[in-house]
Amino acid sequence: MRLEGFPSSVTLRDGTALTIRPVKRGDQPALLAFYREMPQEDRLFLKDDVTTESWADRFIRRIERNEALSLVAEKDGQIVAEATLYRPQHGWSAHVGELRVAVARSHRRKGLATALSGMLVKLATDQGADKIIVEVVENQVSALRTFAKLGFQQEAVLRGHVRDIRGARRDLLVLSNDVSHIWAAMEALVADSSQEVH
Amino acid sequence: MAKTEIRIGGLGGQGVILCGMIIGKAAAIYDGKHATLIQAFGPEARGSACSAQVTVADQVIGYPYVKQPDVLVLMSQDAYAQFGPTLKPGGRLLYEEELVKVDQKLPAGALTFGIPATRFAEELGRRLVLNIVMAGFFTGVTGLVSSEAMEKAVKASVPKGTEDLNMRALHKGLEYGRSVAAQLVGR
Repeated sequence: MRLEGFPSSVTLRDGTALTIRPVKRGDQPALLAFYREMPQEDRLFLKDDVTTESWADRFIRRIERNEALSLVAEKDGQIVAEATLYRPQHGWSAHVGELRVAVARSHRRKGLATALSGMLVKLATDQGADKIIVEVVENQVSALRTFAKLGFQQEAVLRGHVRDIRGARRDLLVLSNDVSHIWAAMEALVADSSQEVH
Repeated sequence: MAKTEIRIGGLGGQGVILCGMIIGKAAAIYDGKHATLIQAFGPEARGSACSAQVTVADQVIGYPYVKQPDVLVLMSQDAYAQFGPTLKPGGRLLYEEELVKVDQKLPAGALTFGIPATRFAEELGRRLVLNIVMAGFFTGVTGLVSSEAMEKAVKASVPKGTEDLNMRALHKGLEYGRSVAAQLVGR
């Protein structure tokens, strides 16, 4: 799917200018370089082993099948963040998108995750998603703050679901952002009843 | 353009009235013409017959009711059965081709233009924007309102947060309408 409005740029809180663009075939080496640079402790919070070429190939195929919509932030041609919205194309949760965001340590706490997540929430809404979820480990305080700013609320807690690098078990929080009200307004507008027309 | 009479017909819940309202708004507010809108719907909001009568003119409109439309925009078979015969001879019928089957009962010289608008709307992400695809199709086929005016009218009429998808729906219908109209000219 061709995304309009990209590439775009974003200026972080410290003045760093980055380019934001959709992930495309051929990005596999750059994505692998980004994730292989990431400390193992950080990668532990990711669902997949993102350091393998097979993961990179699968990831690109999912994008090409419209099962995922992914943006990267680049600085001097190097990926410094990747954010993806996973959208199942069938099944009972086809209306739900799942957001995953990874930012290089060098570019954290500068508003980049907020910017990327905000773009994906807008794209998801625009493409008809009713609900967006994101999983955050209980001690990822800045991530919790970021998603709260974007309208996410805690919906479920999976107790002891995550084991960190030191072996400690932590709760996994499922946050959700129900954007269906936007489409409920549109539905009311096309209801073709007298009270709905202004 | 002296006066063009348009009727939009379909079922409640398809956004028939909104489609008519957007066309009228584009003509009157953004293209500087005159327009009137008359709406009619069944007792139930959803699933019952529903239609909008839109008149667009360069002069003040003295009589807003549409008896014999120059342009028919139809989104259901019932609407076709009811309004198809009222089309002006040589008029244009724009229809949702997966919901309406056109027969030989149309007035002489009628030009027909079909679009799989429901499928397009679903591919864009929401069946709900079927009416906006049809509004774009109307613009592309007839050229009665400018595409710029339609864009402004759509943006001003739809809920916040849905503008982008609605604009994509408008452009999808618009481009399809232009290509279908161009084929007709080339025949």
